Amino acid sequence: MSWVSACKFEDIEQEGAIRFDHEGRTYAIYRGPDDSIYCTAGLCTHEKIHLADGLVMDFEVECPKHSGAFDYRTGEAMRLPACENLKTYPAEVVDGEVRVALG
Amino acid sequence: MDDLKYGTRNKRGDWAPNKPVETAPLFVFPPKLLAIAKWLPHYFFPWNVIFAASAVAYWALIIPSVETLQTLSVGWALWLYAVNAACVFLFYGAFELHLYVLKRQENRFKYNGKFPADQKNNVFWFDRQNVDNMLRTFLSGVTIWTGIEVVMLWAHANGYAPWLSFSENPWTLALVALVVPIIHEFHFFCIHRLIHTPFLYKWVHSVHHNSVNPSPWSSLSMHPVEHLLYLGTAFYHLILPSNPILMLYQLHYAGFGAIPGHVGFDKVEVGEDKLVDSHAYAHYLHHKYFEVNYGDALIPLDKWFGTWHDGSADGEARMQERYRKRKERLSARKASSELQGAAK
Repeated sequence: MSWVSACKFEDIEQEGAIRFDHEGRTYAIYRGPDDSIYCTAGLCTHEKIHLADGLVMDFEVECPKHSGAFDYRTGEAMRLPACENLKTYPAEVVDGEVRVALG
Repeated sequence: MDDLKYGTRNKRGDWAPNKPVETAPLFVFPPKLLAIAKWLPHYFFPWNVIFAASAVAYWALIIPSVETLQTLSVGWALWLYAVNAACVFLFYGAFELHLYVLKRQENRFKYNGKFPADQKNNVFWFDRQNVDNMLRTFLSGVTIWTGIEVVMLWAHANGYAPWLSFSENPWTLALVALVVPIIHEFHFFCIHRLIHTPFLYKWVHSVHHNSVNPSPWSSLSMHPVEHLLYLGTAFYHLILPSNPILMLYQLHYAGFGAIPGHVGFDKVEVGEDKLVDSHAYAHYLHHKYFEVNYGDALIPLDKWFGTWHDGSADGEARMQERYRKRKERLSARKASSELQGAAK
């Protein structure tokens, strides 16, 4: 597992998400309501839509296409039509930099 | 008007009614006569009366003579298409203009805080929900509606469908008129459940479900196969002791009647202090959650089949439990196919 610098912490709004592309793969990085940081696979497991374009509320992200929802802390699918969980990746903030562990 | 007297709005801006949706007090044993008496005015007013009146107006003003109906022709079929298209444009358009273009009641009583026109989504033709929904409505919706209307009128005029007169059979026809909404509900539940099976959902019904945040033009935004199934409710009048006006009522109940369920607002404000219930919440929850409320609340079919969601915390818990079981089944299936793949 290698830690990769993804963005600055302040780039992500509280209860917000940004898309992060790395080595041909796409991820979503979230900042929770308590300023905690999380990272998941970037595409909805239902129809491969970028989740970073969706609505983040509390610890849930809602897919912008069909409103399937996931708990981005665990990747658990919370609402139809998404049934398959998201893959999650460790994330941390070091000196104002968001780093994610990929691989 | 303060909509927070009637419901709550969450952080996302979505409004939800305080009271859970109730099914009509029909089909309960022992019968609740007082509850039925209280509910009955809501059964007629305003929606059912509007759709019945529109059928009478069509018969009086629009439908050609019986002699003309006896022979199929492009001329009167096109005339009916033009009238249907104009009426849909005016009726659906009135709701769209009032609630979504002029936003006369802003987001008061609006289930989903967002307005579809404010968001682009590539699931729709031209990335626009309204453009996509309107094109589907007029290209296939009104066309298939008119096609069914033409075939049924031709069948009535030629004696292939029963045509009882109101003067000789007032009670029979009154009873059929009374059950038109019940026929619709039964038919809608059956075809709706059918098109939620995986194959038909993927190729047919997903078009309608693209409108997660429904608005008036979503009402008839469907795949042509769904249009045929949905508006095919008129075909019951091929066997019922009926009359062309009641067949038109059945068709209008489906065509114009799709509006209340998709209007996106719980109540429509009329004037300063008058509210008209849309009764849309059950179907809004269906659009939001996909596998609840295949019918509306007239016949408790969803209660009987375990798919009812009344908007309450209990309804939510029941839905989540079904969802959990479904995910378990899917993961078990996936694990089993992976095991089989590894064994090969």
